[in-house]
Amino acid sequence: MTETQISIQNLNVTYNGNHALKNISVEIPKKQITAIIGPSGCGKSTMLKCMNRLIDMTDNVTFSGKIIIDNEDVFDKKTDIINIRKKLGLLAQKPTPLPMSIYENVAFGPRIHGVKKKLVLDETVQKCLAITGLWEEVKDRLNSPASQLSIGQQQRLCLARGLAVEPEIILCDEPTSALDPVSSQHIEQQLLKLRKDYTIVIVTHNIHQAMRLADYVIHLYLGELVEHGPANDVFENPKEERTRAYINGTMFSDLKIDKEVDLKGNICPYNFVLAKQALHELSKGKVLKLVVDDPLAVTEVPRGMEADGHKVMSVKQINKTDWEVVIQKKE
Amino acid sequence: MNTRRLKDVLSSRLMLAATVFAFLLLFFMAAGLFFRASPILITVPISDLLFSIEWSPFSGKFGFYPFIMGTLWVTVLATVIAIPVSLLSSIYLSEYASNGLREMVMPLVDLLAGIPSVVYGLFGVLAVVPFINDTLAPAMGAETIGGYSILAGGIVLSIMVFPIIISVTGEVMRRVSGELREVSLSLGATKWQTIKHVVLRKARPGIIAAIVLGFSRAFGETMAVLMVVGNVAKVPSSIFDPAYPLPALIANTYGEMMSIDLYDSAILLAALILLLVVLICNVIARIILVRIERGII
Repeated sequence: MTETQISIQNLNVTYNGNHALKNISVEIPKKQITAIIGPSGCGKSTMLKCMNRLIDMTDNVTFSGKIIIDNEDVFDKKTDIINIRKKLGLLAQKPTPLPMSIYENVAFGPRIHGVKKKLVLDETVQKCLAITGLWEEVKDRLNSPASQLSIGQQQRLCLARGLAVEPEIILCDEPTSALDPVSSQHIEQQLLKLRKDYTIVIVTHNIHQAMRLADYVIHLYLGELVEHGPANDVFENPKEERTRAYINGTMFSDLKIDKEVDLKGNICPYNFVLAKQALHELSKGKVLKLVVDDPLAVTEVPRGMEADGHKVMSVKQINKTDWEVVIQKKE
Repeated sequence: MNTRRLKDVLSSRLMLAATVFAFLLLFFMAAGLFFRASPILITVPISDLLFSIEWSPFSGKFGFYPFIMGTLWVTVLATVIAIPVSLLSSIYLSEYASNGLREMVMPLVDLLAGIPSVVYGLFGVLAVVPFINDTLAPAMGAETIGGYSILAGGIVLSIMVFPIIISVTGEVMRRVSGELREVSLSLGATKWQTIKHVVLRKARPGIIAAIVLGFSRAFGETMAVLMVVGNVAKVPSSIFDPAYPLPALIANTYGEMMSIDLYDSAILLAALILLLVVLICNVIARIILVRIERGII
């Protein structure tokens, strides 16, 4: 068993009388990536906000329980919250550069903690920008406003800014949801690299991202802790039916389509033959999307495909005349 | 059926006409003032008008310099007094105060803006002027003419400027996104560090706009200033000196010595200058605020 970095005990949060987190107890392992998964509004972000006490910013909220980080209870009134927040870097959902230059953004953290020497600041800025792979891209324009960077660069800048205060833990709140696929990949790679030195907690609604990154998974549903455990166990062999449904459900909804065939205007059995041909050209596990308009095909094509051993993943009407059939090739 | 459509057409046209009328009014006022002021602009060089200190209408000398300086002294003093007080209170209201307190205080601040300026003037005469005369000027070893001074004008005006700066600044600060504050706090900044380095920085253009709006309100204010500022046509050299701002000049003298050549024209030129300065300040401030609203700044 690995060491525990954050220990959450009986956490309860209520917003305006709405029970957002219900009696959560879970331990987050040190120097691993922990993914908190679950549908929107299930309390994932609230849980992050409890850890660094940004929950204080919300009106009409009550919370109870304990969150222990390095033997200190985050909720204890005697705890120095500034100190706690310094230990927990935050990477927000939307890239949020501060209204200042690139350099100032990274230097902001060290500065407010009292670092004044220009040399030390310069070194920190370069180091943190280098870790996030941004140094080469921005070293010639450190003094231009951070808002001029692309969205993807801004998010990496935010990561660098968080690292500059030397946290132990990095909290990521859906850090790639506002980014294009290439930038998202970039951020994911950074997180994987950072794992050896930092404890990372990432909230994500993207199940594929969780699978790519996570060592440990926490599944929340409507404020309840459904399941938690090492990523392999949870993804391969979920103990809870709800986890299984969530993983399958989201996997199908954002399935990658490998091939698309338009069979409109064809009647049975030709559309079935054409579909079979198209599937034949794909390798195992690939996904084919068919568009059909023959009412008979809507029932017969999936039935025939299933008889051949393929998996029909969804059949749905997309407009008045057309239907969409998604099939995954098996055998 | 047709009457219904007719009403629709008529009402929209009527509203358009009203809007155009309101807009044209400004244009006509500026054009009218310029037209009536043109005789003096033709006969006396503009540099003499703006920078000559001699004001003796009987001998045809129309130097506005003492009045312009009077206006500037009073306005700048009022702005300087108003900025720290109103900034601090709007920071308190938008960052520290509870929702309940804010909702209670903000209408009161707006109410302050609605008090007739003559009431402020009376307050100035009854409270500020005696205070300067009896306490402040002796303590500072300064001479005043019974307390009627630029300082009295500045204090009274600053109170009139508070509500504008407080409400506009508060509005701009509350527009600064919560995410930005969260970023700063999550880096371990204290609340004050967050306000100072992030919120105020982000809100800076809006705060400047608020100050410009306040400045232009003070620049054109007539009644309250006229009652406390002493109205002596001399270039002031200290805040305890009396002054004679442009609006006071217009209000006090227009319609009285109209038989004097070019007098009417000179006063209308003063009005034109006032109108233009206030207009330009307002336009600049509004442009900044609109850009903030659209998220450009």
